[in-house]
Amino acid sequence: MIAIANKHLAGPEQLEQLREELRGERNSSDKCVRVCIGPGCAAKGAGKLHDLFVQAVEETGADVKIEVKGVGCHGLCERGPIVIVQPGDIFYQRVEEPDVAEIFRETVLGGRVVERLLYDDPDTGAKVVRADEIPFYKAQKRVALAQNGVIDPGSIEDYISAGGYSALAKALTLEPEEIIRQVEQSGLRGRGGGGFVTGRKWRFCRQAAGDPKYVICNGDEGDPGAFMDRAIMEGNPHSVLEGMIIGAYAIGSSQGYIYVRNEYPLSVERLKRAIEQVRTLGLLGEDVLGSGFSFDIRINRGGGAFVCGESTALMASLEGRPGEPRAKYVHTVEHGLRDKPTNLNNVETWANVPVIIDRGSDWFASIGTEKSKGTKVFCLVGKIVNTGLVEVPMGITLRQIIQDIGGGVKDGKTFKAVQTGGPSGGCIPAEHLDVQVDFDELTQLGSMMGSGGMIVMDEDTCMVNVAKYFLNFLQDESCGKCTPCREGIAQMLAIVDRITHGEGRKGDVEKLEQLAELLEGTALCALGKTAANPVLSTIRYFRDEYDAHINEKRCPAKQCRGLFRYKIDPDECKACGICLKECPADAISGEKKVPHVIDQEKCTLCGTCWDKCPFSAVLKV
Amino acid sequence: MPIVTIDDIQVEVEQGATILDAANKAGIWIPTLCHHPAVAPQATCRVCMVELDRGEWKQLVTACNYPVRRDITVSVSGENAVKARRGVMEFMLARAPDNEQLKAIARRMGVDSTPWPTVTVAQRDCILCGLCTAVCDEVLGLAAIGFSGRGVDRAVAAPFRQIPENCIACGACAAVCPVGTIQLRFHEDTDEIEISPFKARVKLRKCQQCGARIVSEPAVAEALKKVNVDWEKIRNLAKLCPKCRRIRAAESFVTAATETPTEK
Repeated sequence: MIAIANKHLAGPEQLEQLREELRGERNSSDKCVRVCIGPGCAAKGAGKLHDLFVQAVEETGADVKIEVKGVGCHGLCERGPIVIVQPGDIFYQRVEEPDVAEIFRETVLGGRVVERLLYDDPDTGAKVVRADEIPFYKAQKRVALAQNGVIDPGSIEDYISAGGYSALAKALTLEPEEIIRQVEQSGLRGRGGGGFVTGRKWRFCRQAAGDPKYVICNGDEGDPGAFMDRAIMEGNPHSVLEGMIIGAYAIGSSQGYIYVRNEYPLSVERLKRAIEQVRTLGLLGEDVLGSGFSFDIRINRGGGAFVCGESTALMASLEGRPGEPRAKYVHTVEHGLRDKPTNLNNVETWANVPVIIDRGSDWFASIGTEKSKGTKVFCLVGKIVNTGLVEVPMGITLRQIIQDIGGGVKDGKTFKAVQTGGPSGGCIPAEHLDVQVDFDELTQLGSMMGSGGMIVMDEDTCMVNVAKYFLNFLQDESCGKCTPCREGIAQMLAIVDRITHGEGRKGDVEKLEQLAELLEGTALCALGKTAANPVLSTIRYFRDEYDAHINEKRCPAKQCRGLFRYKIDPDECKACGICLKECPADAISGEKKVPHVIDQEKCTLCGTCWDKCPFSAVLKV
Repeated sequence: MPIVTIDDIQVEVEQGATILDAANKAGIWIPTLCHHPAVAPQATCRVCMVELDRGEWKQLVTACNYPVRRDITVSVSGENAVKARRGVMEFMLARAPDNEQLKAIARRMGVDSTPWPTVTVAQRDCILCGLCTAVCDEVLGLAAIGFSGRGVDRAVAAPFRQIPENCIACGACAAVCPVGTIQLRFHEDTDEIEISPFKARVKLRKCQQCGARIVSEPAVAEALKKVNVDWEKIRNLAKLCPKCRRIRAAESFVTAATETPTEK
């Protein structure tokens, strides 16, 4: 192994030389086991699998070079832990500890495929050997995640062998204005959800008067069900750093900050290590790559407030003040952190920058729709077959994402809606599934692109309850600084809560709409201004559900307690007596061989019988 | 200098002045609660919403902190602006329904009642405008009180919601409170002044001459620290109540008049 510990790259030639040396160490026939240690797989014990493979290599004594790598998220979290064996790109899924020995013996040493661990296509039943043959991956296009799942996030050698920091070397030979022009021409828009044209933001910041200038990476990902930025920070931290260094050079900044939410300790660890590595190599710090340009990066951890993902709140938090937003009548590119010109971009935006410089703005702009270029990473969660992390070209339809990539709704249920854009977004119903994923199209539907959470809901999901969930979330996360957000969300929640308890009144929906309009117009920051979106979009597409709750005191999805009843289906009941025993209210009567009956007078609607019945004979009616 | 057209009245203001400045100059009343000239604009109460006409689109903004950088057209009396201010005031009335001063401001705005129930009650009668915390921090430099909690739990309090330790009971917070929620209470029995609702109590200085209670002891100390005067006369004067001080001053004039030799 080439030690990078004492290397200091004084120029682009030396970087290329190092790259050649590193590549020379490897060749395509090398054996390599890549164990996914992304958040999903790690939670299922992938760390242990990695250790077992390392141990197996140590114990074998075989005279072959076998590399074992822990790599970032592959995306198909549903089928994790995932192990990929080279050569052959053999994709093993749902690998457990006892499987390690077999994989090692059969595949790594023997070159044979272990059939039972392969992905089986749920439609055809056919076994699939390689990842790119799996439908989940077929429709995806990986740009920001290209190296995720391939390289070891702790190894800068891996990143450099894969072409890393060549974009930086190239950028340093360009005029800053030229870089900004290329980023602008690529059509890259902010991936945090706002969708502002990145190149334009950079230009404003470069042109703003003030010194020093700051660049910030927003890693305060907080939308429910979203883990895109985490996957990038933990799976390929160098791509974020490289993007930031290029951006800083283009903007004329000497200091950068990465603001990572405190709940992501692994992201902090990986970024920290990556920063140390680039500093050692001379890619960060004084005189980057012999260019005369100096830039450094600091990591700051958030304190757990969702609102700190808002740029001005984030900057306040960075300054050590309470994380509360301020009015943006004066933009942060002019007066941001410590009142200096500041350019803030999201993790995914930064990760796209090296690719644009490397492959050209035309290439990037060739992907996507007219006004939304490139790809977008989404976290596909909820009632979906393939839960996971996906990256798709802009312009793909929601149907393709949910059906082709996601494999459709779980357990054969019917699709009801997909929630995008987090608490600022909305729910999109089935009739709009053919809409193209694009900043403007999603906004038109009353939702938004957002940072990339995509929550799939099925027929059992009550949309009024969904609205309540998001209002609850927002009430918890509102900083309380401005009156409309603090009071308005609480008022809306009070109404929605009442509706889900069967106490809705005529005119409640109109009141919600009135409150929504007020919030949008008068709240201080985007959190409050968009807080009503989950309510508005559910009213827009699922008004009938609100009406059923209010007028008929009935929850059509049978989720709101008290707005439906439990009944035992006499044809399905096997009279086993389980529900009878479990019922805490003694509301169920019956004898052996006689179907049981629920006394509706005594029933407290707790749902225990429904949970416990092994024959699904308890119905919600 | 940019010109602000505000409800058809044109006024010229300094670059960077706010819409509120322009409105004051034009003689147009915009209600404010969290605004005070002594502290930086906060724009938290949102009761000063006006509508900015950008030609292609209109935007509601807060008058108290929107900086005028070019010629702009603003509507204060337009339907959207009135509706927005009204809506915000109705939220506040729901929060502090018994506050008479708030109700008076609301009435001046034409808001007689609120359609909303009271759903947030972290602090009685307080509309959380933040003027008290701002004045204590920015003007006094003490930050004896600040915000505690988040969202609906937000409340004005000292750290850990304890009795403020470094409060000097100067009363600045009570003076700027736009709705009279913060009150000064005098405790005759102990010669103390209390800042309600924070429960901070400090000793009152008594007039050396007549025994009248003047001002809180630490406030005097803080004031003397600020003016940075080591002048025995000032110190001695600070020991008197205003009335006795006037008497002493008058006496000194008399003495001076009789003692000073008249020049011929």
